[in-house]
Amino acid sequence: MEKENEIVEKLKSFLEENLVNVIIPRKRRIFVHIKRDALRETIEYLMKDLKFKHLSTITGVDLGERIEVIYHLSHEGSIMLSAKLTVSKKNPNISTITDVIPGAVLYEREVHDLLGVNFKGHPDLSPLMLPEKWPEGVYPLRKEHKLKHLRQITSEK
Amino acid sequence: MSHGSIIKIPFGPQHPALKEPENFLFEVDGETVVDVKPRLGYNHRGMEKAFELKTYIQNIYLAERICGICSHAHTTCYTQAIERLLGVEPPPRARYIRVIIAELERIHSHALWIGLAAHEIGFDTLFMYVWRDRETVLDMFEMISGNRIHYAMNTIGGARRDIHADMAPKIVKGLDFLEKRLEYYLDIVQTEQTILKRTADVGILRPKDAVDLCAVGPTLRASGIENDVRSDDPYVAYDEIPFNVVTHDGCDVLSRILVRCEETLESVKIIRYALDSMPNGTIRVRVPMKVPQGEVVSRVEAPRGELIHYAKSNGTTKPERYKVRSPTLANIPALCKMLQGGYVADIPIVLAGIDPCFSCMDRMAFVDTKKNRKWVWTMQQLRRKYAKE
Repeated sequence: MEKENEIVEKLKSFLEENLVNVIIPRKRRIFVHIKRDALRETIEYLMKDLKFKHLSTITGVDLGERIEVIYHLSHEGSIMLSAKLTVSKKNPNISTITDVIPGAVLYEREVHDLLGVNFKGHPDLSPLMLPEKWPEGVYPLRKEHKLKHLRQITSEK
Repeated sequence: MSHGSIIKIPFGPQHPALKEPENFLFEVDGETVVDVKPRLGYNHRGMEKAFELKTYIQNIYLAERICGICSHAHTTCYTQAIERLLGVEPPPRARYIRVIIAELERIHSHALWIGLAAHEIGFDTLFMYVWRDRETVLDMFEMISGNRIHYAMNTIGGARRDIHADMAPKIVKGLDFLEKRLEYYLDIVQTEQTILKRTADVGILRPKDAVDLCAVGPTLRASGIENDVRSDDPYVAYDEIPFNVVTHDGCDVLSRILVRCEETLESVKIIRYALDSMPNGTIRVRVPMKVPQGEVVSRVEAPRGELIHYAKSNGTTKPERYKVRSPTLANIPALCKMLQGGYVADIPIVLAGIDPCFSCMDRMAFVDTKKNRKWVWTMQQLRRKYAKE
C-alpha cells in the first residue's frame, strides 16, 4: 500500500482545493473525486509527473441531475486510479484529453454517444456506436430513457 | 504504386455473427492506405442498459454472452466485481478452477486466431491443422462443463462445477498432445516462408505509439512492452502460480503470431501446475441477493488483452451501472495506426492481427461515387485480383 499512499499524498498536495475526496478501497485501487475544471491539469500531472501511462477506459454514470465521468488510468499496469468528476445535464461540457492521451479518442466518443457529454476540443465527435438515423438528443444510457422508448426508436424505420 | 488521387473504400460491417462487426472507411492512394476511420456499433446490443434491468444472478448469464470466445473472461471479471462489492472471497479451489478454465480458453482462443490468421494469408492447410487440434480443448470443455462454448463455470461466490479427480488425467493427456502440436506450430511460423513473407514488417506498431494509443494484450506485448494483468494486478490464483509474460519486439504481425503461439505454451504449463497444486474443499459460498452500495473496478487478462468492468451498486438486487470495455475496442486506435502506410492487400492480415472479436474480414464493398454504382467483392475475389496484378 506504500505506493498507493505515495500517489494519494502527491495528488493531495497538487490538487489542494480542487480535490473533493480520495479513497483507497483496497490494494492497487484508488478512487479520486476532483472538481470539473481541474481535469486537464490532473490528467497531465498524472501522466507526466506520476508516470501513469495507460488509460483503460472512460465510464459515464447517470446520477439523475448530473453525470459522473470516470477516467480509469493505470500506473505501470498495476495500480488502477479512477479519477472522477461530475457535470450537470444542462451544461455537460468537459475539455477533451485526447491531446494528452491519444488513446482516449474512442472512449470520449462512446461517452458522448451514450450519455451526451460534450468533450470540448475533441477532433471528431460524430456518432461512433449509435445508428445513422438515431434522433438527436436521445442518449440511451441516461436513466430517463426507458427500454420501451428505446425499443420504439430502434423499431422505427 | 501511387495514382495521385485518393479513393475512399468502406470496409465492412456485414458480419452479425460475430461480436463486433466494424466498419472502416479507408482512404487509399493507389495501393497505399493513407487514412482509416472506424465506425463501430453495428451489433451494439445495449448490454450495459440490460445489466441495469436484470438481477445480479441474471447478469451472470448476460456477462457469459458478451463474447462467444472469451465468455469465461467476462464472467470472471463480473463475478469478482460483485464478490468485491459483497465482501466475499471465493473458496481457494474455485479460484484454481477459474485459472484452469481461463487458460484452456486462452489456448482455444489463440488457436482459433492462429488458424484465422493463416486463412487470411491464404495458408489454409495450417488453418485446418490448428483448428483440428483446437478440438482437443473443446472436448475438454465438454467433459468438464457439458458445453463446448459458454461453459458457464462461474457464479457469484465461486464455481458452479468442480473439476473432479478423474478428469485431471484426461486433461493432462490432452495437454501433452496439445503441447507437441503447439511447439510444432511455433516452429512452422518461424521457418515457413509463406508466413514470414506476409507478416514480417507488416502492420508496424512502434512501442511509443502502442503506449500512447493505449493498446492492450498480445498487440501491446508484440511491440516489446511487458504488460499483463495476470502478473501486474493478480486476480483469482495468479499470484500463486509461476508463469512468464511473453513479449517480442518485432512490432509487426509476425511478432503478434509469435507472442500468441508462445502464450499457449505458457498456458499449458499454468494448467499443469494448477492441476497439481489445486487445494481441496468447497467450490462455492452462498451469497445474498442484495448487494450493498458501492463501486468497484475489476480487471482480467482476457485472451485479447486487458478487460475492464466497472460496477456501481445501489443496495438493491440490480446494479445501478455496469460498464464493460472489451480489449478489442482498446486496440482499435492502434489498429488504425498499423494500417496507415500499409498496402490494401495487407488490410485483412493486419486487421486480423489484433484478433478483433471478429469482423468484416471476408467482404468489401466498393463504391464508385461518380456512377453511384456499388458492388461487393469477397475477400477471395479480391485476393485473386491482387495476385494477377
